[in-house]
Amino acid sequence: MDLILPYLATLVVFFFIYNIFTWGLNIQFGYAGVLDFTFITFVACGAYFAGVFALGPGSQQNGFEWILGLNLPFPIALLAGALAAGVLGILIGLIAINRLRSDYMAIVTLATGTVIYGLVSNFTPLFDGFDGLAGLSPPFAQALGLNSNQFTYLWVVVSGVVMVICWFIAQRILTSPLGRTMRAIREDQDAAETFGKDTIRVRLIAMSMGAVLAGVGGALLMGFIGAFSPAGWTSGETFVVWAALIVGGRGNNWGAVVGSFVVAVLINEATRYIPPVTADPTLIPTVRNMLIGATLILVLWVRPQGIIPETRRRFFQLPLRPGSPPVQEAESARG
Amino acid sequence: MPAAEAILTVSHVSHSFGGFRAVDDCSFEIAAGSISALIGPNGAGKSTLVGLIGGAMRTQTGSIHFAGRNISRMSAFKVARLGLLRTYQVSREFAGLTVMENLLVPPPNQRGESLFNALFRPSLGRVQDRELADRAFEVLETFGLLALRDEYAGNLSGGEKRLLELARAVMAEPKFMLLDEPMAGINPALIARLDGHIRRLRDDHGITFLLVEHNLDVVERICDRVVVMAFGRTLAEGQMSELRENPEVVRAYLGGGLDERAAG
Ligand SMILES: Nc1ncnc2c1ncn2[C@@H]1O[C@H](COP(=O)(O)OP(=O)(O)O)[C@@H](O)[C@H]1O
Ligand SMILES: [Mg+2]
Repeated sequence: MDLILPYLATLVVFFFIYNIFTWGLNIQFGYAGVLDFTFITFVACGAYFAGVFALGPGSQQNGFEWILGLNLPFPIALLAGALAAGVLGILIGLIAINRLRSDYMAIVTLATGTVIYGLVSNFTPLFDGFDGLAGLSPPFAQALGLNSNQFTYLWVVVSGVVMVICWFIAQRILTSPLGRTMRAIREDQDAAETFGKDTIRVRLIAMSMGAVLAGVGGALLMGFIGAFSPAGWTSGETFVVWAALIVGGRGNNWGAVVGSFVVAVLINEATRYIPPVTADPTLIPTVRNMLIGATLILVLWVRPQGIIPETRRRFFQLPLRPGSPPVQEAESARG
Repeated sequence: MPAAEAILTVSHVSHSFGGFRAVDDCSFEIAAGSISALIGPNGAGKSTLVGLIGGAMRTQTGSIHFAGRNISRMSAFKVARLGLLRTYQVSREFAGLTVMENLLVPPPNQRGESLFNALFRPSLGRVQDRELADRAFEVLETFGLLALRDEYAGNLSGGEKRLLELARAVMAEPKFMLLDEPMAGINPALIARLDGHIRRLRDDHGITFLLVEHNLDVVERICDRVVVMAFGRTLAEGQMSELRENPEVVRAYLGGGLDERAAG
């Protein structure tokens, strides 16, 4: 019991954080069709900025160096991380979306992410280079007098609350006319333009809001683990979030939850305890990515729209004649 | 014809793809409140011109003015916001949206399209959607698409997609509709009804029409004026009955079609 409960709580925290990630990518790709192949860069941006807002100043004597170091409370750090990621989303979006056809969008996001990765991991004054940020004491733990297990339970609550807020953000965008316009742009950008939609602006909004959720999740990771370094945001991590979204069902936030559970919890955990038959430390991540890839291919084969596909929005008007009472809108899942 | 004010002026517009001049020094004016047609053989450059007017491509030479504004280099969505709506020769439905949703995308000035309102005042969008959906119901009924309202647009037949294209255009409430072969693939009974819709939209809402159309009977029935294009150039302008007599036009385009019609 003493071991199982904290372990399960840790799983729940990762599950919650991955839900936030998958919703973020859903806003970008599932709603607006933006091919963001550097999603993890926004996660990192959120984690780093939350880190340097919450950590004290880095000191060169001790071999730590980073910008800011403001010692601010975690909620402010989380907002800072979210905001920084949102701004980065607009910047990368401006490069990738502006005047580029969608097939180039993917490679441009990947290229931009690679440049940022190289910069952050080699330019130590920013976020301590390849060593990354470390030493953030668990937020709220000291004030509340929590031990490390209790802190894990607290983080279930914290990430749960934040997740619910993110759910509302993602759902409100999806069910609004803004979400409808995003989906129209996903279907046919030129046709949307002919109806006066500023498709660049709308896709930048999607890019940026998706990045905000990525940043929020990154900040929660930073707070939970207390450290963050380039080893944690290799481009393979972007693939995990993509796989979760495609497996679960793009365009549907419940699908995203299912996908994040299958990919980020089940497969991740199933492979974590592979007996170390070899001394190769890369075995587990390799097996994990192979399993994720195989799941992705399987789903694309048998159910290409994902486990829970996009909801079909139905409109009813009864009785069916002009001048009758206002239209009622109802949603029902597509079978 | 009374000299009404020109709402659209195309002057000396040329456009080349590589070395090929698809549109070559084209000039004409469209009077506000008129129903005009742009006709010409396949490859005459009609669709290219539609694209240039609608802002899908930047005009290389010459200029295009709409409602007193130079739109030659304006991007498509800004042209649309001035009230000029163009449709495509090939249906461009939002395949993954339902028919109803396809009609709810076009209306301008939707308050629920701002991020702030979407996040913090979702009821604004919902209330407006309800009004728009009411209007969309009427439009769908007019175009005979009401039963298909919850179907994904991608699942419609070719003819239904053409109707959807027009229904969407109506929802956008434009001042000017530039329709690229709107009747292609629609059955004759329906064409007769669409004629009526177009005339009614002009008469009741003052919408100006420029149709690219191959069906010359339709053109003769509803169009006040016709511009004939061939090989990228404007060949002649006038009323359909006059143009049928114009030897140059007959040679370039009407020839076979006219004779068949005269015989039949
Ligand atoms: N994107 C393009 N690239 C190259 N050539 C084109 C392109 N679009 C149209 N054309 C050529 O321009 C000419 C005019 O085409 P178009 O405007 O579609 O004619 P229409 O609509 O009158 O049938 C044709 O010869 C066509 O092959
Ligand atoms: Mg054409």
